[in-house]
Amino acid sequence: MNGRRVLLVDDEVVFTENMTTLLTSRGYQIKAVNSGDSAIRALESDDFDVVVLDLKMPGMDGMETLKEIKKLGLFTETLILTGHGAVDTALEAMKLGAYDYLTKPCEVDELVEKLEGARSKKTQRSSKDMESKLKRVVESPRSALSLFSKKKGI
Amino acid sequence: MTNVPPQRHEERTREARSVIGTGYARLTGRFILIAVTCSVVPLLLVGYGISRHYSRIARARMRADFRGRTSQHKKTIELFLSERTAAIQLLAQTHSLDHLRDPRRLSSALAVLNHEYRNAFTDLGLIDGSGKHLAYVGPYDLMDKNYAKASWFEQVLTRGAFVSDMFLGFRRVPHVIIAVSRIDRGRMWILRATLNTRVFRSLVEGVRIGRTGEVYLLNRQGILQTQPRSKGRIMEKAALRVGTHHSGIRVRVLSTPSQGRQIVAQTWLQQVRWALVVRQSYDEAFADVNQANRSSLITLVLSAVAILLVSVFTARTMIKSIKKRDLEKDLLTRQLMQAGKMASVGELAAGVAHEVNNPLAIIMTERQILLDVAGCASGVDPGLKAQLEKSLSQIQTQCKRCKHTTQNLLRFSRRTEAVLEEVDLNAFLTEVVELLEREASSSGVKFLMALQEGLPAILSDPSLLQQVFLNILSNAVDAHEGKPYGRVAVSTRLDVMTGAVEVIVADTGWGIRLEHLDKVFDPFFTTKPTGKGTGLGLSICYGIVKRLGGEIAVESAAGEGAVFAVILPKRPPADFESAFNIGRQASEEIESSQKEELK
Repeated sequence: MNGRRVLLVDDEVVFTENMTTLLTSRGYQIKAVNSGDSAIRALESDDFDVVVLDLKMPGMDGMETLKEIKKLGLFTETLILTGHGAVDTALEAMKLGAYDYLTKPCEVDELVEKLEGARSKKTQRSSKDMESKLKRVVESPRSALSLFSKKKGI
Repeated sequence: MTNVPPQRHEERTREARSVIGTGYARLTGRFILIAVTCSVVPLLLVGYGISRHYSRIARARMRADFRGRTSQHKKTIELFLSERTAAIQLLAQTHSLDHLRDPRRLSSALAVLNHEYRNAFTDLGLIDGSGKHLAYVGPYDLMDKNYAKASWFEQVLTRGAFVSDMFLGFRRVPHVIIAVSRIDRGRMWILRATLNTRVFRSLVEGVRIGRTGEVYLLNRQGILQTQPRSKGRIMEKAALRVGTHHSGIRVRVLSTPSQGRQIVAQTWLQQVRWALVVRQSYDEAFADVNQANRSSLITLVLSAVAILLVSVFTARTMIKSIKKRDLEKDLLTRQLMQAGKMASVGELAAGVAHEVNNPLAIIMTERQILLDVAGCASGVDPGLKAQLEKSLSQIQTQCKRCKHTTQNLLRFSRRTEAVLEEVDLNAFLTEVVELLEREASSSGVKFLMALQEGLPAILSDPSLLQQVFLNILSNAVDAHEGKPYGRVAVSTRLDVMTGAVEVIVADTGWGIRLEHLDKVFDPFFTTKPTGKGTGLGLSICYGIVKRLGGEIAVESAAGEGAVFAVILPKRPPADFESAFNIGRQASEEIESSQKEELK
């Protein structure tokens, strides 16, 4: 499956396992990790459409992880999942570039809805980006070359 | 208060307050003591000093007056005696023995003398050198008397002129004689005149000095020569010791058991060895001084009392303002403590909520998995499936309830800083009422909601508003204590002109007594029994509503329930933000726009 790749980040192992089961049965490709570090590693090695990120985690917490993710400069959208019920923290996360937030506990259907929203936004953004890049390629052969070399590097 | 402090806290507060109370009393006492020490003591010292000084001067002047009066009396008596002595001398010098021997001439001489000196003499006698009467004019029959043995006779022979002491003589009546001797052609003869005792005595005894004053004469032996007004009789020994002869006037203050304190002046006359005594009761003599002293003392005491009163008043006023300030400070401290407590309770609540939310999330996923599995599974007993679905649905319901609870917990107690949010008052009040409903229904009180539809949201702080309405509403419920049932009506109304919302809470409780009505918003005012209320709730409500730019008012009559009206503006005043965390609030304000933008 090409689309619908989701990285699930939560320190609650049972929660990630259950979510993996539920989302897989709903047609998603899930990779579940239990810490911020492993989330960054996973993002560096694989491509995901959406990251579902818990805010409160031991070690590197959700907020720091989000900052790291943004540093990577990916098209991946981030969906904040918080047990905190703290709207303002979630809003802060949104200011940092998260797509939206959901408070735990939540229904699977709610999550799916948000995931779809995030995914479509990601598609839009990446296609827009592609468009502008193509434009640049058309306008300047040098940047086309750079695009080419970048692709090659992957 | 949202979390009413336990009874122990209340007791401690009361104790602390009474300790503070005695502290104020002591402080008042100290203030008064200082003020009195700094004013009354110098006043008394100065007053005492001045009074002493002036009374000493006044006394000295009084003594001088007394001395002067004595000297005047002395001169009068001396003049009286010397004039009469001179008259007799003149008579003896200017007439011969033969001339005066004629009783008719002697009698006319007596008449002339009495005319000139206003009945100064009783009789006139001519006596020869052997003491025999040669001639006599007067009321007594003395012609055959011989004076050779009389003490005055010897004196006049040696001295030439003599004034006798008061004596009885042959006539057995107290009298004074003036005798002069003359030697005429080798023969000695004596002219003797008896002073009119009545005239002489009235000269001395008639002197009036105040009510108690008197003048009398004593001879060298201390025998009274005139009748004193107070005590003693003429010719008897006087109570006063006369002492030896001295010159000038002696003024003494004596104290006798019978006559008390008295001022006595004594002086010796010149021609005759008599002491003139002028005596007056000390209290009368110094009445003016004493009067002045008394009035100055009264003035002093009045001034001291006035100062004392002013000091007490000033101290009281001062302590009152200090007390008021302390009370305000105390209130602020309590509010801060309350806020601090709320903060820690909030943190705790947040932690609990988080810890509950995670397991809830897992339960929800587990339920979903079961639901999925059950949906896919085939050949399952339909009864089991139905039961499963029912159970799973119940799990969902209960999970949602838990979530609702944790969210409420977080929303209501987590925030310690004021945060402005759009508040739909209708929904908000419904939530607050829900919180109280269970408790209220057990005491028979029901809530009635009359909320205006389509009420626009206002910008306010939900956690502060919650504190206000929880207080007012729980007070309304408490107002029914002892009543079997009651109603609390909550209504909202939009003021179209200003955009403010008016919330009215009316109850059917016992109401507020008229004399308490203007005190209900005062800190520490409570009518609840000991340990039940802090008296802070409504005062905090008042503070919060004012801070939010609103108004709070109460209307009530005893036994007829109470109506609380809270008017909340569309948005709080500009200075509201400055008192609280600006950054936090700013982040809230851009919430919606950013959310849209990010999407």
